[in-house]
Amino acid sequence: MSEQLPAPEFDHDNYARPNQAWTCGHAAEGRCCPLGPDRLGRCQATFECQPVLDLKPGETKGRWRCTRSGGVCELGPRPDGTCCRPIPPCSPRASLRWQRGRFTLAVMAASLAILLIVLGSPPLRDRLFNPGTVSQPHSGAAFAALAATNHLNMSCGACHLAGASGPRRIVHTAFAADPSPVELVKLFSAAPAEVTSLDGHCQTCHTSHSFHQVTVVTIACTYCHLEHQGAKMKAVGDAGCVFCHGNAGTMAAAATASQHMLPEAFQLDMVRHGLEFPAPHPAQGFTEVIHGFADDHPQFRFITDHWRDPDTLKFNHALHLTGSTIPDLPNGHKLDCTFCHQPDASGAFIAPVKFEQNCRVCHSLQFDPATPGLTLPHGRAEQVTAFLHSLPQQYQDYALRQGTNASELATFASGKLAQLRKVYGLGETLSQQVFLSTAKTGPDTQVGTVNGATRPVFPGCAYCHEVKHDAPGDYQVTTPVIYERWLNHAAFDHAKHTALACEKCHDAVHSTKTADVLLPARETCVECHSLRGGVVNTCATCHEYHKPLVARTN
Amino acid sequence: MKRFQKQFWLGTLVLVVASVAALLVHRDWHERLPAYAYISGWVLFGFMLLLALFNARKKLPFLPLGRSEQWLQLHIYGGFFTVVLFLIHLNFRLPRGGFEITLAVLFAIVTISGIVGLLLSRALPRRLQTRGGEVVFEKIPAIRHSLRQQAEKLALGGPGGSPIIAEFYVRRLAVFFAEPRNFWLHLQESRGPINRLLADLGDLRRLLSETDAAVLDQIATLTRQKDGLDYHNALQATLKLWLFVHLPFTYGLMLFTVWHIVLVYAFSGGAQ
Repeated sequence: MSEQLPAPEFDHDNYARPNQAWTCGHAAEGRCCPLGPDRLGRCQATFECQPVLDLKPGETKGRWRCTRSGGVCELGPRPDGTCCRPIPPCSPRASLRWQRGRFTLAVMAASLAILLIVLGSPPLRDRLFNPGTVSQPHSGAAFAALAATNHLNMSCGACHLAGASGPRRIVHTAFAADPSPVELVKLFSAAPAEVTSLDGHCQTCHTSHSFHQVTVVTIACTYCHLEHQGAKMKAVGDAGCVFCHGNAGTMAAAATASQHMLPEAFQLDMVRHGLEFPAPHPAQGFTEVIHGFADDHPQFRFITDHWRDPDTLKFNHALHLTGSTIPDLPNGHKLDCTFCHQPDASGAFIAPVKFEQNCRVCHSLQFDPATPGLTLPHGRAEQVTAFLHSLPQQYQDYALRQGTNASELATFASGKLAQLRKVYGLGETLSQQVFLSTAKTGPDTQVGTVNGATRPVFPGCAYCHEVKHDAPGDYQVTTPVIYERWLNHAAFDHAKHTALACEKCHDAVHSTKTADVLLPARETCVECHSLRGGVVNTCATCHEYHKPLVARTN
Repeated sequence: MKRFQKQFWLGTLVLVVASVAALLVHRDWHERLPAYAYISGWVLFGFMLLLALFNARKKLPFLPLGRSEQWLQLHIYGGFFTVVLFLIHLNFRLPRGGFEITLAVLFAIVTISGIVGLLLSRALPRRLQTRGGEVVFEKIPAIRHSLRQQAEKLALGGPGGSPIIAEFYVRRLAVFFAEPRNFWLHLQESRGPINRLLADLGDLRRLLSETDAAVLDQIATLTRQKDGLDYHNALQATLKLWLFVHLPFTYGLMLFTVWHIVLVYAFSGGAQ
């Protein structure tokens, strides 16, 4: 057993007590008081000794005796029994450890005070606890008015019950939440996109919350719509869509469910933009697994399903854009896409082509080479028949417009009719020429002109239109049906694509048939709408999720 | 040294492996687990509690809770891992909103002060060993007082003393011996002040008799000791003062964190 060494240089008269909260004020002078300060940092120094009263038998007063440890002092105790050598009191010094402890308490007290001040002031509370700017629709004056009608507070309390509560209520709400802070296991079993109580607050205002397909399971509003992301509500990300459309199981279940439902159940009540192509609902529904437009979005259906434009109008885009026989426009320019296809007022869509605006400039419907100013009406077949039956009157009206004297009108008309009869015939013969002649069968292959030449402009209606002729005088022209919207499930804005040339997406110069659907393939869109292309390519760029207002009112 | 290196490499290895594992878990699960933010938050809070328990462990030395040195290692490497967890919990984005920013600032203060403390506790003890052996920090005032008394006795000893030394002491040395000096210069390892003082003492020595020169030599020795004492005072105080930031703000952070948890649940989707 090793010998225990004595503590080195331990000075019993100079006991500094460095581990205690307070040290003697004389410690810095190397002469600590043996007693030291008390726990509260008060100096305990009194006198160098505590005299003892010696009382002999029979004495009543006795004698005070000095008990000084360093030896009896010369003067001895005072008559009242106190020591004659008082110790000068010191100012005890707090140890660093004590100071650190007090500073820690001060910081904690300050933290607590800040929290209580914030909690006690609703405006401060809203500002401090708000994790980000609330979107304008949920924070503006309109929302305040709407929130008031729904008996909700304008502030955080409109959506969060705790937002309109004090600290006690906030704590209570936290522990009443599902899951609560003590239900940690529940966190691991939480289902994704599960509808929560918060969604109920959304639907206080967003009534008739409906989804885009009947087979869709209800998911939480907050799964797709992220609030507190700035004044402009953040666009819905792909994650919300891929949650269902990227899940093979969900899609398979939806496909199975849709087989037992009538196609009408999936009829979209979209806000209509022009005449839409009546695309049939796919047998499996839209249940292909999709993770992103640039990744595995299916090819557009007009390609995969070989859609054909059923329009009966005979129009050759290639001829009009590249044909050598196509004359220049009155302004000297070549015919191009924009002459016929102009954006509508919104700019998002292309306005329908109009005969009077876009076609008549070339196709003047002139029928008498000697009278270029007199043209056939365009519209219903009955109007044309009536026009032909009233040719003498039409010639007289024309002459009147040209300033011919009234006495000469009849002569003018009979002369013109005689010339017409000589070349084309009149009555049923002329009607057949007007209605049924084509470029190959007509008396002249010159179809149109823009320079006022006097050549006849046959062929007739059948050159462009489907004309049915069952009996003499009975001509039926099928009205063209020009579909303006083909991909009805997606939104497209031409105004956002004006930087691109038309032919980049619409291969019109190679289209010779009306049946050609001149839309771009998915690959053309992906060139720009992809990570590589650098243009946004989220699902919401083209697709809507909720049924629009039209549907909600149904 | 060998043991320290072994500890360092083992701790670093564990830290790197744990961090990579945490990052991989984050990559694979942060979008798949609906309550991922809650889970990562609770894990982070657990680690913060563990780190805070180190201080409690120091206050309970009598309990069989493992060696303090092991706790310190756990505190250091656990602290670095907590930074990784904190970034994961934030999903590597900047904090948003007043409360989140306050929390993040508190976390940053605690983290940075901890790292500074670690660097100081690695660097300063080595430097202390090079200057004058061990000095108990709490005894520095007493030693300084003793040196001052000795110097005053030599310089202002009485009628037989040198008036030149007395004048020099009053003019230059009295202030030097009165209190700790050159705190920041000692931290920068600068010896400029003591060298200037000793040079002045050397200049003075040429004007003195042999007897007085011997006294001046003793004063010079005391001056060197006082400078060494100031050096110890500066470095040891620094070793203790960083805790004035680390500890109080740790408790402030814990208080704000608890309230953060309450707020998260109170404003969660599952709250009424």
